[in-house]
Amino acid sequence: MVFNSFDFLAFIIPVLLLYWLVFKKSDVSQNILLLVSSLVFYAWADWRFLVLLIASTLINYALGIKIAQTEEDKKRSVFLYLGLIFNVGLLLYFKYANFFYQGFYDILQVFGSSVSHNTLQIILPLGISFFTFQTLGYLIDVFNEEIEPSKDLLRFSVFVTFFPKILSGPIERAAGLLPQLEEKRTFSYPVMVDGLRQILWGFFAKVVIAENCAAIVNPIFNDYQAQSGSTLLLGTFFYAIQLYADFSGYSNMAIGVGKLFGIQLMRNFSTPFFSTNIADFWRKWHISLTTWMMDYVFTPLSFILRRHQKRGLMLSIVATFILVGFWHGANWTFVVYGLCHGLYFIPLVYSGKMNASEVVAEGKVLPSFKELGKMILLFLLIMLTDVFFRANNVVEAFDYFGKIFSGSLFDFPSILMGSNSLITLGLISLFVAVEWIHRGKKHDFELSTYPVWIRWSSYVFIFVLLLFFGKSAETFIYFQF
Amino acid sequence: MEISTIKERISNVLTSILEHSNFEMHDELTAKDVDGWDSLSHMMIITKIEEEFGIRFKLRELNKLKNMGALVSLVQSKA
Repeated sequence: MVFNSFDFLAFIIPVLLLYWLVFKKSDVSQNILLLVSSLVFYAWADWRFLVLLIASTLINYALGIKIAQTEEDKKRSVFLYLGLIFNVGLLLYFKYANFFYQGFYDILQVFGSSVSHNTLQIILPLGISFFTFQTLGYLIDVFNEEIEPSKDLLRFSVFVTFFPKILSGPIERAAGLLPQLEEKRTFSYPVMVDGLRQILWGFFAKVVIAENCAAIVNPIFNDYQAQSGSTLLLGTFFYAIQLYADFSGYSNMAIGVGKLFGIQLMRNFSTPFFSTNIADFWRKWHISLTTWMMDYVFTPLSFILRRHQKRGLMLSIVATFILVGFWHGANWTFVVYGLCHGLYFIPLVYSGKMNASEVVAEGKVLPSFKELGKMILLFLLIMLTDVFFRANNVVEAFDYFGKIFSGSLFDFPSILMGSNSLITLGLISLFVAVEWIHRGKKHDFELSTYPVWIRWSSYVFIFVLLLFFGKSAETFIYFQF
Repeated sequence: MEISTIKERISNVLTSILEHSNFEMHDELTAKDVDGWDSLSHMMIITKIEEEFGIRFKLRELNKLKNMGALVSLVQSKA
């Protein structure tokens, strides 16, 4: 059930009414309703894995308590390792088994083996990459004594299964979400309205921007061999925008829905394309994943490699980003995608500028030429790297690049002949302009400080655009991860 | 070891890694207050402190450090 569907509307309205009118008495009653509706939501999407989700919740809950109760260091580590094996094992089995099986088979082939093989038929449980990372982070935090374990199964279950973020994140942290579930949520009109605005903007990003881009991108990528270099280059542009609008749109809707229940989920995107270097970009792109990787992969790794100074640091960054790529799926394309991004950091590490975060056009209306130039170069780099993200395999990606940088790069791109791509370019300009105006705000459609007439004309305007240019969409790119 | 000696030596480490001494050593000092003390330089500072005092930290100990005062007492407990 996607947020932009009538099914979801039919689901959320009764749940909201029950939440604020019937179950409002205490945090316990609110949590009961959230848990039941989250399980219904998950089962609606795919009931076969409900058992898996419940089992994961129970096991992580028990391990959290066990780790905290155990005093002896070695035994604590045993419980932590059990948790790591369980959670990582789930991911490996459901998400990566085929990949390793295929790799193993390929190696056998190299050595002349003629073992017959069938692909494993494993279906990916929805949201598994997201909820296992959340529970992994929880166990590590408990182990490091950064948080107390949850001793309330109901609360912990809501923490794991809360439906706005179960399918595609944000990947919540225990320290951010659990305390909110300990208290009774009180109804706040401004928070509610703010949530609705954020949903509206996410909706617009998804069904207008991402879906119109997809309509251009899909035919190009599906038949890239027949296209001119210039069309392929434009195709990567539209794909970069599609990917961003799709996932940031989803995230805005998820966070907005959270707010309708008085729960603040973490920010996932913070206008990432308004960055002047790659480190800055990753601080603003899929924030809940990158901060997770920072805390649980990069920091321990750079700590272990700390005696190797800058080389150790670079190795940690590249390894972390390969993992970021691989997290997306069991395909070499994602590994290469991550590797490229890791490598882009190397000049920054050498020049010592990795953490020198520049706020673009601070206090100004427009960026300087220098800032604009840096932003455009960074965007081009990311846009081209996204070819790995979209391609079916690495060979295809390189083939795609080969076709871009061929003689036909200077042909007039045929996709600009149709009115569709011109209209889409216009819509993208509007999208980028609104994000630019709101770049320093809490989210991309934070209108609370504007006069009433501006707010309402914005809503009406967005509705009109939705009506005229919105496309129905059954799924989101990040649902496959 | 004397607290004041530890503080002085940590201060020297910071100056040598960050290449400036625009900070004042006090117990409430945090990385955020010091120019250039970020995730990148942090590991280098930590490594240098380990070498300076001939000690080894655990990641868990470092994660729990809240400010300079805590760092100084951690070093004191190990040196």
